[in-house]
This record gives sequence, structure tokens and C-alpha cells, in this order.
Amino acid sequence: MGQTQISTGNEGQVTIYCIDTDGDSHGGGQEMERESKNQKEKKTEKGGATRSRRRRSEERSEERSESSRDGRKDRRRGGKEGRRRGRQGKEEEIKKDRKNNKNEKAKKQLESNTNHSKSSSSSSSSEEEEEGEKEKVGDEEFVVGSLSPEELERLKEAVDERKKLITTLRGKPWPMRKKLPTLRESQLFVEKYEGALGKGRGRKLYAYKVMMRKKWMKFERDLENFKTACIPWEMKIKEIESHFGSSVASYFIFLRWMYGINMILFSLTFGLVMVPEALMGRPYGSIPRKTVPREEQASAMDFAVLWDWGGYAKYSVLFYGYYNNQRAVGWLKFRMPLSYFLVGVGTVAYSYMVVIRTMARNAKEDGGGDDTSFNFSWKIFTSWDYLIGNPETADNKFASITTSFKEAIVEEQESRKDDNIHLTRFLRVLANFLVLCCLAGSGYLIYFVVRRSQKFALEGLDNYGWWERNEVNMVMSLLGMFCPMLFDVISALENYHPRIALQWQLGRIFALFLGNLYTFIIALMDQINLKRAEEEIVKFNMTAWQANLYNGTIPENSTAPPITVDPADVPRGPCWETMVGQEFVRLIISDTMTTYITLLIGDFLRAVLVRFLNHCWCWDLEYGFPSYSEFDVSGNVLGLIFNQGMIWMGAFYAPCLPALNLLRLHVSMYLQCWAVMCCNVPQERVFKASGSNNFYMAMLLVILFLSTLPAIYTIVSIPPSFDCGPFSGKSRMFDVIQETLESDFPAWFGKVFSYASNPGLVLPFLLLMVLAIYYLHSTSKTYKHANLELKKKLQAQSEENKKKNKLAAQKAANDLEQAKIMAAAEQQEKEEKQTNNNASRRGEERVIAIAF
Amino acid sequence: MVSPAIALAFLPLLLTLIIRYRYYFVLLYRAVLVRWVQDLVTGISREERVYQYILTHATPGDPESVLDSFDDWCNKVEFISHIGPKKGMILDRLLKEHCPLTVLELGTHCGYTAVRIARSLPIGARLFSVEMDEGNARVAEKIIRLSGFDDDAVELIVRPSDEVIPRLREDYGVERLDFVFMDHWKRCYLPDLQMLEGSGLLGEGSVILADNVIFPGAPNFLRHACRSGLYEHRVHRATLEYIRGIRDGMAELIYRGAK
Repeated sequence: MGQTQISTGNEGQVTIYCIDTDGDSHGGGQEMERESKNQKEKKTEKGGATRSRRRRSEERSEERSESSRDGRKDRRRGGKEGRRRGRQGKEEEIKKDRKNNKNEKAKKQLESNTNHSKSSSSSSSSEEEEEGEKEKVGDEEFVVGSLSPEELERLKEAVDERKKLITTLRGKPWPMRKKLPTLRESQLFVEKYEGALGKGRGRKLYAYKVMMRKKWMKFERDLENFKTACIPWEMKIKEIESHFGSSVASYFIFLRWMYGINMILFSLTFGLVMVPEALMGRPYGSIPRKTVPREEQASAMDFAVLWDWGGYAKYSVLFYGYYNNQRAVGWLKFRMPLSYFLVGVGTVAYSYMVVIRTMARNAKEDGGGDDTSFNFSWKIFTSWDYLIGNPETADNKFASITTSFKEAIVEEQESRKDDNIHLTRFLRVLANFLVLCCLAGSGYLIYFVVRRSQKFALEGLDNYGWWERNEVNMVMSLLGMFCPMLFDVISALENYHPRIALQWQLGRIFALFLGNLYTFIIALMDQINLKRAEEEIVKFNMTAWQANLYNGTIPENSTAPPITVDPADVPRGPCWETMVGQEFVRLIISDTMTTYITLLIGDFLRAVLVRFLNHCWCWDLEYGFPSYSEFDVSGNVLGLIFNQGMIWMGAFYAPCLPALNLLRLHVSMYLQCWAVMCCNVPQERVFKASGSNNFYMAMLLVILFLSTLPAIYTIVSIPPSFDCGPFSGKSRMFDVIQETLESDFPAWFGKVFSYASNPGLVLPFLLLMVLAIYYLHSTSKTYKHANLELKKKLQAQSEENKKKNKLAAQKAANDLEQAKIMAAAEQQEKEEKQTNNNASRRGEERVIAIAF
Repeated sequence: MVSPAIALAFLPLLLTLIIRYRYYFVLLYRAVLVRWVQDLVTGISREERVYQYILTHATPGDPESVLDSFDDWCNKVEFISHIGPKKGMILDRLLKEHCPLTVLELGTHCGYTAVRIARSLPIGARLFSVEMDEGNARVAEKIIRLSGFDDDAVELIVRPSDEVIPRLREDYGVERLDFVFMDHWKRCYLPDLQMLEGSGLLGEGSVILADNVIFPGAPNFLRHACRSGLYEHRVHRATLEYIRGIRDGMAELIYRGAK
């Protein structure tokens, strides 16, 4: 046998291995794993694949490792401490004795192992004994010198095998409890002996290199982990996803994305507008627009400032009116009005860019074509994440896979259902009619309230109570809170698939919120007009006041220095921009408050009541009437989107808005994560939100457009106030650009700009752009189509291949069958011949016998 | 003074509540208002009314016909709380599966469930039906006898359940209960179950079926059944009898004994 020859060198190391196994009984798993790694040897043993043989071969490979380890140790010892050779020799002898003793034990164990496998145990044990004797020699060899090249070769082979095992372990059809120890063990093995490979002097370098590579890989993995840990709220969102399905998680991912955008907006406004003004602009109290007027000073530090945003908050960098129209501030010559204008434009432009880019990216991920054909197979075979090491995470992953299966099954069921189509249609029309009625009602209510509030404003707000003053906000919040509930109830009539139902729900709430928002804006426009009328009067009075001032105090001395009046006493215009900013800030605050209070009362308090009153209540609260609430994805998403719309609208007039929004988003991230985990239950019908991400984005884009419209309108068409804000004194806000062009750029640039803005040039450019967009759009369409075709082709090809393979396999099977039949026929013939022969021989014998 | 506009803004909430819980309003109307009006108009109790209806509509001696006329009355005329036809099917199936010889029913009310159980029992089986209220018991007795079950098949015990259970062995010679059906006060489910456990009448494989565990609901009972480890339990989900939209369920416990 060739293979005994191979193992002569260290066959005796069986003993060591067996001693090892004596102590800790290796499980069957390891056995199996050893089997796999010794596949080559198994192949050589095709002849008698008895269990004992296989076992021995496994042991051999194990020995190899052991021997090499020993060998290395010995080598080192031999190299370093040659002087101690003598003592070592003694030790070696003792060791050998011990080994011999244990050899017997090991053999017994082997025998017992082999006995039950019905192999000739006696022969194998005798073989073992032989090999054991041979091995002693090999052992001594190891002690004296280094590894022989042959052993090295074998070691290398073993290491390679282990490596192969590690890479292919994932595909092995083993249970996890077997895979893990196998993996760990082979990794240890490879780590230990890889260094021993390499030749001669290069060995050390090689070992070092291997070690460094290991370290590098580990570092890379750690870096990856660190990166994941750096994604904010990732773990939280994953946890929620595993409990509530991807639709709820998609809300939180959207929230996080929104947070990122607001971070940029905030850094723009904060870094380029608020901080320069606060640091380099004129200080508070230097000019009238930066001072609280005399009549307000008494109440400027009231507690009400916190929610009214009047008093000192109004006359600070937080609002438009505080900014001075000085062209350049500070030693940096910072162009404040220009910066203000450009930041206002830049935030909007940046938002457009980001939203559109994200939409495009999402569309790319969509792919196109149907990926649903092997839905369940995909889910079964690809959903487990093998990187999970934490049992808790594994539980979560398990839960999420189960959830995704449920989702897929629900989807499948929905696609196969067919009901009474006429009834469904009628119900859907009815539901839409009801929703329209509801929308009209709420719109009228808001209109009514706004009209009333204008009446109040004309009569003076001080005569009315808190309810009347906050009527508009209250009604808007209440309608925004309750109408979606009503829509939800109505949409139960329609019997849509949950994802489609979600989209309808989103659309309806969208209409409602949009109506509310635009009614609010119309009311604001009215107020702006009122303020501007007031401003005219103030302007007129102002000149009178100035004339009065000069006339009264210094009658005939024009050379004297101009009298100084306390800036608080100077009469000033109403500054409609600050008013708009204030309104938006108030709206955001009240909106945030409503959201949080709804969350605390509607979710938390309800959950607490249900949980703790359940055991002393006369019906089951958890199953029955109040029960726990579900997470309302559509409402929350829309709340977020409209909130963002208000930010976009108001940010120009109140630079503090992005900061406030950032705060709000941060708090609501934590609050909602907590609330959803502690007081909500997963939806009864969990479903996937794969497609809805782009839907959110599309809505965001629409809102962005709709919210920039009024902002742009006010900027372009209404002249700024005469005595407040960075653009005071100009006839339009965008005049600041022209001013900069004239004074800060060389003359030719201004000329070029004026040529470029000539309609004769702009119009063809626009036309060109439209054409380019059209061209790109159509090309992308063709590409999509081509992709689809390719996909189909691929699928067809793979199916054809499958068919071919099947045919080939069938043919081979047929051939085999035929060959078998042939062989059987031949054998039969032979047998027949034999029997004939026998019979004839017997006949002959008989004849002979008879003859005798 | 709250402005009318703010009050109007609460209208959607009101509508939502009304639509979402419409079945409960229907239940309130049928079970409380109609009963109250009818009591005033006729001067006799609801149970008497249902008895009169059955007397005029059902065939004596035929339990099917009695049950049908019960269902008719409850669907068309007034609401009365008992197991109803849909959950009754589950009950029938369980009885057929287990073939119990001794059955205890807690809460006879008008005898609908007693008739239902008695008709699917094997020959020689006994049903003990416990009812606390004497007026109800009188009606139930009449209805049970009308359906053709004699004293040996169905025995009506007019006492509160917590007095009856400890005395079952002595007074009625019961050694083991194969099947227990609970449909009396939801608060008494848990104490009665514990009393049954203590009395030793439950054996391996005894079935306890409790109606209305979700609406009106018996959370403590369910929790005990889950946590005590004495039972295999499952909840059969269904809707409340004669009203479509209210979810309800029956808990089926199979006694496995302490392990």
C-alpha cells in the first residue's frame, strides 16, 4: 500500500493524537470534518473503505499536524539550546515510555472503535503496531533535526486543504453547530502551521508576512465593524426592522436621511449667516433694528418668549429683521447681504439636487423586469446572514426572515385573490367620495378659521383669549391628527393590498396637509399685505418724526453734531419678513409639540393603561377595545415631509429654522425609536416597503417644489422692508447680485453677465436643455428596455442549458441501464454455460458412477 | 369659551370612533336598549320571551329544531348571549373528537348550550349543568326537557358554581370530568378553574373549553392557562355570536397534569 509508505515517517504520532483525544472526547462532528479534509486519502482507499481505515487516515492527518508542531518545537529547541541535548534525550526517553504505555490504550480505543464497524480489527491493530514501531524512529528523527522536505510537503498540503475547507465551508450541507467548531479549528490549524511553510531562510520572512497579512485582515474587518458602528442609529433601526418589518424601518431610515440633509442646511445657514453676523456684525443695541423697542422692553424677557418668539428672540440673529444692510462686515470684509441671499438660494438648490440624485439612485436599484419569479427560493436560500455572530442579532435576523416570509406569502395571496369586482369598485368609489367630502370639509373649516382670525387681528388680538389667538394652529393640528384616522377607517372599505393601501393613504393625507399648508400661506399673504400697508404709514410718520425731532431740539444750529436718540425709541416699520419667519417658527413648534403629545398620550399612555389595567378590567384590553397602537407609517412620513416643506419655506426669513428642525429630528429619532419598541405592536399584516422609498422621495420633491414657490414669489415680487433685514433700502431682494457684480467684479464680467442674461441667449439655452433632457430620458428608456431583453435572454439560456443537461443526464442514465442489461445478459449467458458445463460434468460423473 | 371651530375639528375623531367601533354600538343597542324596551313593554323577562318563541316555533323533542329557533330569535328579534352556531360547530367537533362521558357545564343561561352539548354526547354520558339564577334555571329546565333530554342525560343544578364544584364528588357521585364548558361570569373562570384543579376531578386528557375569552375576555384565565404548565392550550378564534365584527375566541385547554 502506497499510503502506508507515506505515513511511515510519523505514523507513530497516532499515539499523541489518541492521548489528546483521551482527555476530551471529540464529538462526531469533528470526526466528520476530518473526513472531509482527508478526502484525498479517502480516494486512495477506495478499495476497502471501512470505517477503521478512514479513521486511521484521519488520525494520520491529525498526526501530521501534531508531528509538525512537535518538530518545530524540537527544531527550535535544537537550534537554541544544543547544550541541553543530553538532558533532553533523557526526557525524550521518559516521554517515549509514556507514549508506549498510552500507545496500548490508544490501540484499545481504536479497536473498540473498529470493532463495531465490522472490520477486521485484529489485522488493523496489528498494522497499527507495526506502524507504531516504525513511527518511533520517525519521532527520534524529529527530535534531532528539522522537518524533512517530504513532511513539509505534506504539511503544506494539509494547510491548503484546511484553507480550502474554510472557503468552501459555507456551501457545506452541515448544521451550524458542526460548521462553527470546524471553522474555528481549521483556522487555528492554518494560523499555527502556515508560518512553518516556506523554505530555508525565507521561512521567517514568510511567517512574518503571513502574520502581517492576518493582522491586516483583522484590522480591515475591525475597520468595517467600526464603520458600521459609525452609521448613526444603525443598530436601533436594524432592531426595529427585525421586529416590525421593513416598512417601519423605512420610515426611520428616511428620518435619518432627512437628518443628514438638515445637518447640511444647518451648517450652511449657521456657518455663513448666523455666526458671521453674531461675531462681526454690529452688536445688539447699536441700531434700531437690533434693539427691542421701548414699548416691548417690559415684556421682552417674559416666559412667553419661549413659544411666542417675540422679545429678545425676535431681535436676534434668529430672524431676518436683525441683519444689517451693511455691504461688508468685519475685518474679513464678509459680504453679509450677498451671503444671506446665496445661502437662501443654495439651501434650496442643494435640496433639489439631493432629492433628485437620491431618486435617480433608487430608480437604478429598481432594476426593472420581474424579480418575483423565484421569490421564495431566493428567500429560502439567500436570506440568512452568515456574518452574524451575536445570538441576539441572530434572533433578530431570524425574526426578520420570518417576517419577510410572511410578507411574501401575503403578497402571493393578494395576487391570487379575486373577489366580486363590481362590489369592490363601488366600495372604492364610495370611499373616495367620502374622503373627498372630508377633505372639502376640513378645507372649509380652515378657511373659516383663517377668516375669523383676520377679523380678530383687525380688531386687535389683546381683546381675545388664548383659544381665539391660537385657533388656526389648533384647528390645523387637530385636523391633521384626526383626519388621517378617518381616512384609515374609510380605506378599510377598499380592500386593497396593504402596500397599495398605504400609497392611497399617503396620497390622501398629502392632499389634506397640502390644503392646510396652502390655506395657511394664503392667510400669511393677506397678513403681509396688511403689514405693507402699515409700513407705508410708518414711513410717512417717520419723516414727520425726524423733522419733528430736528425742529424741536436744535432749531437753528446745523453745524452741531446730530442728536443721538436711543435706538429703542426710534419708530420702525412692522417688518413683514420677521413676521413670516416668526409664524413659521411658531407653526413648527406647535407641530412638534402636537406630535410629541400625541405620541405620549396616544401611544405611551394607552400602552401603560392597557398593560397595567388589563388584569383588573372586565374585558380584555389587549385584544379588545383599546389594545396597543400600531406604528402609523404613512402619517409619520407625511408629517416629516411637510415639516421639511415648512423648513424650506421659512428658512429664508428665519435662519434659525434648520437648527430647530435638527433638534426636532434628533429628539424624535430617539423618542420614536423608544416609543415604537415599547408601546407599539407590529402590524397585523406585515408587508414590505421596497417600492415606497421612491414614493416618499417623489412626494418630497413635490413638496419641495410647492414650498419653494411661495418663497420665491415673496422674494421676487414683494419689495423688502425699508428698515430691517440685509436687503433694506433695495427695491428687490435679488438686487444684491447686481450690486455685487457692479462693485466687486471687474467691469467686463458685468458686461458678460448682462449679455448672458439677455433673453435672446437664455431662451435658446433653455430650449437646448429641454432637448438634452428629452434625449437623455429616451436613451435611458432604451437602455432599460435592452436590459430587460438581456435578462430575458439570460433566463432563456439558463433554462435551455438546464434542459440540455437533463437530456444528457437522461441519455447517460439510459446508456448505463443498457450497459447493465447487457452485462446482466452476458453474465446470465456465462452462468448458463457454466450450469450447462456443470450439468454435463455431473452427467458425466453420474455416468461414470453408474458405470462403476 | 372654546370656539366652535375647534369643536368642529373633533368631528373626524368622533366619526372615526363611530365607524371603527360600530359593531360595539350595534351590540349595545341590541343587547341593552332593545332588551330594556322589551322588558318594559311585555313585562316578562328576556328568557321567558325566548321560551315563548321556542314553544311556538320549535318541534318538541327535536333538539335541532329548538336550536334553530333559538338562532332565529337571536338573529332577528333580540340578542342573547350564548355560544351561537359558529362557535357551536367548534364545540360539536371537540365533543365528537373526545366522546366525553361526564360533562360539566358552568352557566346554563337558557339551556342553548346544554341542548347543544347533550345532542352530541354518546349514549350513557351525563351532563351536569350549573346555573345560579333561578329564573333562568326554570326556563332552561323547560327548554331542555322540551328538547327531549331527561334527568339522566342532563342534570340541572341551581347553585353558584363555586359551591357546586367542591361538592360534585359527594353529592353527585362524579369521579372524573371529561369535559368542562365554561360560559358563566368571566370573572369566575379563573377561580373555578383553580377549584377544579384542586378538587382532583380533572384527569389526564380532560378538556376545558371556555367561551368568550377575548370579548368580553378573561385575560387572567388565559394567563394562568399558559403559565401553570398543566395544560395544552389553544385559542379558537371566531367572532362574537350573532354580531359579525367583534372578534372573540374560545380557549381549549387539555389537562396534562403536573409534570
